[in-house]
Amino acid sequence: MKQIFCHIEKCLGCKSCELACAVEHSLSKQLVAAMREPVVPKQRIRVELIDEHGTLSRYRTLALQCRHCGNALCVQACISGGIRKDEDSGEVRINPEKCVGCWSCVMVCPFGALVRHEGIHRAMKCDHCPDRETPACVDACPTKALVYLEKDGVRTRDVVL
Amino acid sequence: MNILIIGNSAAGTAAVEAIRTRDRQSSIVQLTDELHPLYSRCLLSYYLAGTISRERLQYREMDFHERMRVQLHTGKRAVELDTNRQHVVCDDGSDYLFDKLLIATGSSAKLPGNIPAGIQGVCVLRTLDDVETIREHVRYARCAVVLGGGLIGMKAACALRECGLETKVVVRSKRVLSQMIDDGASQIIGRRLLENRIEVLTETDISEIRSQDHRLVGVETDQGQVIPCELLILAKGVHPNTELIQDTDIRKRQGIETDPYMQTSHENIFAAGDVAEAFDITTEEHAINALWTCAVQQGRIAGLNIIGEQEAYDGAVGMNSLDICNSPLISYGITSPKDGSRYQMLVYEQPANNVYKKIVLKDHRIKGIILLGRIDNAGVLLSLIQRKADVSAFEHELLDDRFNFAKLVGYGDASVLEQYRQW
Repeated sequence: MKQIFCHIEKCLGCKSCELACAVEHSLSKQLVAAMREPVVPKQRIRVELIDEHGTLSRYRTLALQCRHCGNALCVQACISGGIRKDEDSGEVRINPEKCVGCWSCVMVCPFGALVRHEGIHRAMKCDHCPDRETPACVDACPTKALVYLEKDGVRTRDVVL
Repeated sequence: MNILIIGNSAAGTAAVEAIRTRDRQSSIVQLTDELHPLYSRCLLSYYLAGTISRERLQYREMDFHERMRVQLHTGKRAVELDTNRQHVVCDDGSDYLFDKLLIATGSSAKLPGNIPAGIQGVCVLRTLDDVETIREHVRYARCAVVLGGGLIGMKAACALRECGLETKVVVRSKRVLSQMIDDGASQIIGRRLLENRIEVLTETDISEIRSQDHRLVGVETDQGQVIPCELLILAKGVHPNTELIQDTDIRKRQGIETDPYMQTSHENIFAAGDVAEAFDITTEEHAINALWTCAVQQGRIAGLNIIGEQEAYDGAVGMNSLDICNSPLISYGITSPKDGSRYQMLVYEQPANNVYKKIVLKDHRIKGIILLGRIDNAGVLLSLIQRKADVSAFEHELLDDRFNFAKLVGYGDASVLEQYRQW
């Protein structure tokens, strides 16, 4: 299975990935039109601050999204069967038709990767952009900090963390 | 190998799935005393409220048991267990031999002794049949009383209010959700309930039931108040269904005792879910955590060990997630310790915005958490409980809404980096 990794030495924290993610998950997939949609699209990737000493004297950024865990705790916690692991691809997928917004997945995800869409009362997360060859965040990254690689083939120099 | 699983809810189903990830050969027979093939108990209150259809209770595909090659036998209550002959007898006389047995019989609603049986309108909220009965009464009822202010009581009260019934909650303690959260959070919830026109009568119990022609017409409280109502939901908690092992040598305290492999004192018999006692990470004692998530995790571990995979359970953390009157609420572990002097509490509150956050620490390790109103990144904090991490370096940041995974990276927690790469 392929996974998105972030090379933190290259990540500027520009949030281009967040914007691209929200647009990709809108109805129109166009930035201006997306902003006017009745349900404002939300990003499923988040740029987080790695603050080395809690003083902001030296900080880096990490663009983080669902890790599609092998033994995914969200799948185990989901009470509605709305989060399942796809047996073929290994991806963890949410079925929005089944989600009831109980937030059990938010309760257990060690990455904080589940996003609550309060407007529609549903949990959301990275789905690797099923309509695209490469996820929108990876394509949008200006410094190529985000890469989409086979999980097993990841070398440390691809992903310095 | 012949595997017998008694119980068809969270733990039993998780065991089936775990077994079938590695073993397609063994025969699996699953027994349930209910007539319905598979549904999610946690969704029942959503169904009662009318938020979801009955079909959506089904949390796996219709052909789940077929695909998993499980023979599901519904409407059978296991009543006798012979541990030597490895043999189970059901109430209809049918019997089953097993090589490995999983007891996942769950729990039943506790019934208060002073409430007579057989009165129409007095219900519990435990099974799909219970909900169908409640729905019958909702059709004509105008007022409902819920006895018990725990998780089920709250979910029932909110659902009945959603159905348009005038709803009152009667609780014996000083506040609602007293097992799950502390006073501060409870006050906010209490106010939210009132805003949604759900009245809570605290430090009150029901002393008498009033009925006409075996039909409920009201309840009398020990404070002398008479509340006319057509529906009463008893939500005083649950007790484990351990009847099956009563006359066996399988060890139990409150629930069936298990080791980290979810094995009971008998080597071929496992237990998981609401009926089992397992190690609790926060209290450091063996206890029942009658919760969906724990049941699924324990069922999975039991399933793997039944087929010889030797995977150990890290232990349970009591945890609940609830969306109550549009306020998200998550709690973990010990939220209001009895012996407060041995614990350190960190609290952040904005009552006007319905926000309340609390971290309970002992020896710089997180033992309990309440998050009300702001729950994003909750699981990051849970991971600190589970790893028994020393949080002294970033204690002052734990209550910050921006406390996230990257914080742990910033503080040089090597194990989280491994997690990021490997998971």
